[in-house]
Amino acid sequence: MSSSFATIPKTAPFTEEDVALLNRVVGPASAVQRAWLAGFLAGVESVQGGAAQPSAPARPAEPITILYASESGNCEKLANDFAKSARKNGLKPTLLDMADLDMTALASAKKLVVIAATWGEGEPPARAVRSYGEFMGEGAPRLDGVEFGVLALGDTAYVEFCAIGKAIDARLEALGGKRVVTRVDCDLDFAEPATRWIGDAVKTLAPPQDEASRGSVIEVDFSKPARSPNTDIVEAEITELVNLNSSRSDKETVHLALTFDGGVPAYQPGDSLDVYAENDPVYVDELLKLAGLSGDAKLREDFIKSRDVTTLSYKAIETYATQTGHTYVKTLIDDGEAKQWIIGRQLIDLIAMFPTHLTAEHLHAVTRPLAPRAYSIASSRAEVSDEAHLLISAVRYVTNGRARKGVASNYVAERLKRGGRVRVKLKPNKHFALPAPDKDIIMVGPGTGVAPFRAFVQERRAVNASGKSWLFFGDRQFTHDFLYQLDWQEALADGALTRMDVAFSRDTPKKVYVQHKIWDQRHDLVAWLDGGASFYVCGDAMHMAKDVRGALVAAYADVKALTPEAAEQAVAGLERDKRYLTDTY
Amino acid sequence: MTDDVSRNEHLKEASRYLRGTIAEGLRDEVTGAIVEDDQQLVKFHGMYLQDDRDLRPERTRKKMEKAFGFMIRVRITGGCLSPAQWLALDKIARDYGNGGMRLTTRQTVQLHGVIKTNVKDTIKAIDAVLLNSIAACGDINRNVMCVVNPDQSRAHATAIEFARAATERFLPHTPAYREIWLDGERIAGGEPEDVVEPIYGKTYMPRKFKIGIAVPPSNDIDVYASDLGFIAILDDKGEIAGWNVTVGGGMGMTHGEPETYPRTADVMGYCSAADALDVAEAGVTVQRDWGDRKNRKHARFKYTVEDRGLDAVRAEVESRSGVKLEPAKPFTFTSNGDRFGWSAGTDGRGHLTLFVENGRVIDRPGKPQMSALREIARIHDGDFRITPNQNLIITSVPTDRQAEIERIARDAGLLAPWSGLRRNSMACVALPTCGLALAESERYLPDLIDALDKSLATHGLSADDIVIRMTGCPNGCARPYIAEIGLVGKGPGRYNLYLGAAFDGSRMSKLYMPDLDHDGIVAALDPIFAAYAAKRENGEHFGDFTIRAGFVAKTSNGADFHANSGPKQPSVAA
Ligand code: SRM
Ligand SMILES: Cc1cc2nc3c(=O)[nH]c(=O)nc-3n(C[C@H](O)[C@H](O)[C@H](O)COP(=O)(O)OP(=O)(O)OC[C@H]3O[C@@H](n4cnc5c(N)ncnc54)[C@H](O)[C@@H]3O)c2cc1C
Ligand SMILES: Cc1cc2nc3c(=O)[nH]c(=O)nc-3n(C[C@H](O)[C@H](O)[C@H](O)COP(=O)(O)O)c2cc1C
Ligand code: SF4
Repeated sequence: MSSSFATIPKTAPFTEEDVALLNRVVGPASAVQRAWLAGFLAGVESVQGGAAQPSAPARPAEPITILYASESGNCEKLANDFAKSARKNGLKPTLLDMADLDMTALASAKKLVVIAATWGEGEPPARAVRSYGEFMGEGAPRLDGVEFGVLALGDTAYVEFCAIGKAIDARLEALGGKRVVTRVDCDLDFAEPATRWIGDAVKTLAPPQDEASRGSVIEVDFSKPARSPNTDIVEAEITELVNLNSSRSDKETVHLALTFDGGVPAYQPGDSLDVYAENDPVYVDELLKLAGLSGDAKLREDFIKSRDVTTLSYKAIETYATQTGHTYVKTLIDDGEAKQWIIGRQLIDLIAMFPTHLTAEHLHAVTRPLAPRAYSIASSRAEVSDEAHLLISAVRYVTNGRARKGVASNYVAERLKRGGRVRVKLKPNKHFALPAPDKDIIMVGPGTGVAPFRAFVQERRAVNASGKSWLFFGDRQFTHDFLYQLDWQEALADGALTRMDVAFSRDTPKKVYVQHKIWDQRHDLVAWLDGGASFYVCGDAMHMAKDVRGALVAAYADVKALTPEAAEQAVAGLERDKRYLTDTY
Repeated sequence: MTDDVSRNEHLKEASRYLRGTIAEGLRDEVTGAIVEDDQQLVKFHGMYLQDDRDLRPERTRKKMEKAFGFMIRVRITGGCLSPAQWLALDKIARDYGNGGMRLTTRQTVQLHGVIKTNVKDTIKAIDAVLLNSIAACGDINRNVMCVVNPDQSRAHATAIEFARAATERFLPHTPAYREIWLDGERIAGGEPEDVVEPIYGKTYMPRKFKIGIAVPPSNDIDVYASDLGFIAILDDKGEIAGWNVTVGGGMGMTHGEPETYPRTADVMGYCSAADALDVAEAGVTVQRDWGDRKNRKHARFKYTVEDRGLDAVRAEVESRSGVKLEPAKPFTFTSNGDRFGWSAGTDGRGHLTLFVENGRVIDRPGKPQMSALREIARIHDGDFRITPNQNLIITSVPTDRQAEIERIARDAGLLAPWSGLRRNSMACVALPTCGLALAESERYLPDLIDALDKSLATHGLSADDIVIRMTGCPNGCARPYIAEIGLVGKGPGRYNLYLGAAFDGSRMSKLYMPDLDHDGIVAALDPIFAAYAAKRENGEHFGDFTIRAGFVAKTSNGADFHANSGPKQPSVAA
């Protein structure tokens, strides 16, 4: 809206430059911004105990509940953004992690916004599983008349794209809610569409302001701002890069040590780093060759550096069909076979199988920006000061007769070198943090899942925590795949680690996994938990995390002679108390 | 016990009859190792803690401890296994070991690379087919060797019976093995010594002790390398009438320590078949009490015999056994090697001796020998007999099955090669598992033989039987000092070359040239092969020739092994 009238008069008690400066800011400011500024200045006065300026009364803000179902923090961050913007627009936001959702509270909400991610194969984020179940079940309260909107986060690489967001959106309507903002399903490059959605949603849900806010003042909360660590993209130098698996192993797990010129991001044990990888030039060249675009150097550069050239989403196939008008691809879609066909395939398969004249624009349209990959930080600043360590397993497999290489993990394993540089970004995860030093911890981390626990153990050593710590690790072979073996031996020797149980699946005819060790140790385990220990699980989400939880439920049932239901409740209780924490992928 | 005895003596004494803290050590799954003291004790249980030396350089960088693994040596008296037992060991090797089996120079099977957490299951699986590894290593009587001579079935039957009796008599009685590996009941501690170990007592033998039983004309077991040996004396019906008893054989020595040396045993006298076992026990107890418990490098029976003299030892054996030994009876050995191919047993069935290069049973590209032997074991109802030359005999094959078994063996390259040198070759394990190896052995000898075969071919000697043995260090596990050509590891890629031993294993060799590399070995031997081809007398063996021709001096027995070494100017006018 135009706000020319807001020009600061020359007569104002400022120098010419200041007046100009102020005008540049205040001039174009929206009513809301001006109201906020007024409140801010008034607030400053009162805080500094200066002559108390009676600030104009604010109109009572309307409550709104912002519910988020998040695992790796994206939705949580967006929920916070939403809250900020809501506050500025006369709303009184209540942030609610779905993990802590209590149904009756939900019923009392008048306005409700849900920001939800989908995990696993179309499942809710781990810590939201319980509430999500209740929300979908009979127990859920009616929400007649509740105004709601849903933002879904997901990844088009998955068949069940944004399944959870979609389900919640439908469920809210079924419970009598009134959809006032249409759902948006975001892919990995969610930043821009999400911000736009938040803008629209706030506008729709906020009380009409133009009139109201004129001259009004928004109260500004002066409670000290939570000073958050640097989460910008930073460059790091690689000081150590070594494959921890033996040369006899068929696995490759890289230990990466990073240092930062601008100082290491202030990470905490449990946090992750987003790694900004580049595509394999060999793969890109093959792709461009198939597309008949080998000549295009600019395109090549762009594809290596910043496009996701491996993922083949259903959306991409549709785009390919419409843009190239490829009849076979069309029929593939029309016959409803595309969804099946995609499985285990990549963009390169599409172009190889259905070649056609392609332009740079076509290729651009069927790809999305290359997303960073998260890696748990495997060190504690308390021990490695300005370093950060990562533990990265090279993803390699064969599908449909083609050898595939994970983009980021092989970028690290095959193309990064000691002394080289890599771009990373801190990804805090306060939901996977250590308890008080005097509390016991049980850590279950097979494979690369052990990474954060190396950070945990280092941290507990540094603060020489009085609490006991117990680690469950597993991999394929004791001799060739025992990640950080010497570190664990040292920790057991100096007491940073109290106990360790290992499970190796390829050392004997019968496969042994961590869940079996958990079962073997069930009596001590339950005793530790009864003693207040926290239980951490990190690593594979597909099977391991489920099997481990299952084993713990079985352990409770056996040790305490509980019914399966009661045992399930015991573990659910741990989850509610934030003593069963997971970071799985 | 006095303090000046070796550390191991204190260890044995305090071990509660070989228990130590082995059981506790097994429970720590974060390391593949066990503590040093227990490493000494597990030897008595038939196993060694080793690590894969090929992987050593990378381990620390990868933040991993050494690639530890156990070598488990099964006790197989006289090398006799049933097909069922062979199949079991084959499976165990694939389930828990490094995928292969190793036939040894003392007729047993070794498994390598068994990780700590698998040892118990491995021992249990071995136990399930009535085998064990008790006393396969350690300061105690080891696996008793016995001639394989399949063609003398009746003599063999008696000999193996004697071997088994000796094995039984000298087994340790401690229940530690059952307790630790087979979860047997812990027998409440504090057993009175005589009850637990009637023969050995708390401290067992001063050092390893080895018994071998030979039946002329074959000296395949190299009786002269045994601490205690028995040479069968046959009556005219081919039955064993009694035994010549030998004492004080052994191979091990240490480079640069002339007070250590290999020694060929002395023939001490003759005893009747009935008295043999008592004489054997007397031999064992004499060494138990007379053996040097202060210096482990001087603790073998051979040094006792050297130091006290044969007469003193004989007298003590006689008084302890109450058996008066008669003067040794005449006998003749013709060779210490194996005779390959088919031979007819007295029971009408056929025996097939297979060539297993350096005893390594494993599937290699184009040579699926492990699978082939498994296939044979499935259809075979006779025995498997491991020879002291690391080879294998399929015994008592009925005529109608011989063709098939031979085909399977041939397809896998298990029939004896044409090369007379390779047929008579042996190499010890050495790298990567042996902790004492100074140089390659098993992994190198085949290549060396390729080279030497070329040179032999040019002199027309390809088919001649010449005994060649290699070890990775001077301990002599492949008995290199009683091989016509002996190669003993000195350092990476370097070997001492010994010549002049007798074809029948009765005379030791001498150092001809030290520190030779591959080319050096070939260069040193080629002219001698040439001379041999040109100047040998009718039927003269290579070892005898090198002495007659004056290439090396003759070794009479242990004491003068180091004397007068080095190449001599051949006086081959002879
Ligand atoms: C497997 C075998 C060689 C082979 O290629 O077949 C072998 C292998 C080893 N011998 Fe041996 N010896 C083997 C027959 C021999 C023989 C031959 C014989 O007994 O006829 C000898 C020479 C005779 C003698 O005892 O003097 C022999 C003399 C030694 C010695 C030196 C002993 C001495 O008192 O001088 C050692 C080192 C030691 O005991 O200190 C030794 C030690 C070893 C060890 C256990 C190394 C160690 O102590 O750490 C080797 C294990 C290597 C591995 O990775 O498997 N081995 N060792 C033989 C197993 C025999 C069996 O089944 O019981
Ligand atoms: C919070 C968090 C923490 C993480 N921490 C770690 C860590 O500490 N260490 C670590 O190594 N990883 C970690 N990961 C996983 C990591 O982020 C990447 O997902 C992983 O490295 C693969 O990325 P990539 O680019 O190499 O493979 P991509 O190019 O992303 O390919 C991976 C995709 O390939 C497909 N795929 C993979 N394997 C197969 C198969 N066998 N068969 C068929 N298809 C297959 C799947 O679709 C999979 O999504 C973490 C993930 C999260 C979310
Ligand atoms: C292991 C794993 C599984 C995932 N599964 C799905 C899925 O099935 N469907 C989907 O749309 N997105 C899926 N995603 C993508 C996430 O929903 C996406 O990364 C989202 O931004 C995460 O939000 P959060 O940080 O709030 O948890 C998956 C991501 C990971 C790491
Ligand atoms: S001779 Fe030496 S190197 Fe060879 S196996 Fe025996 S101890 Fe090891």
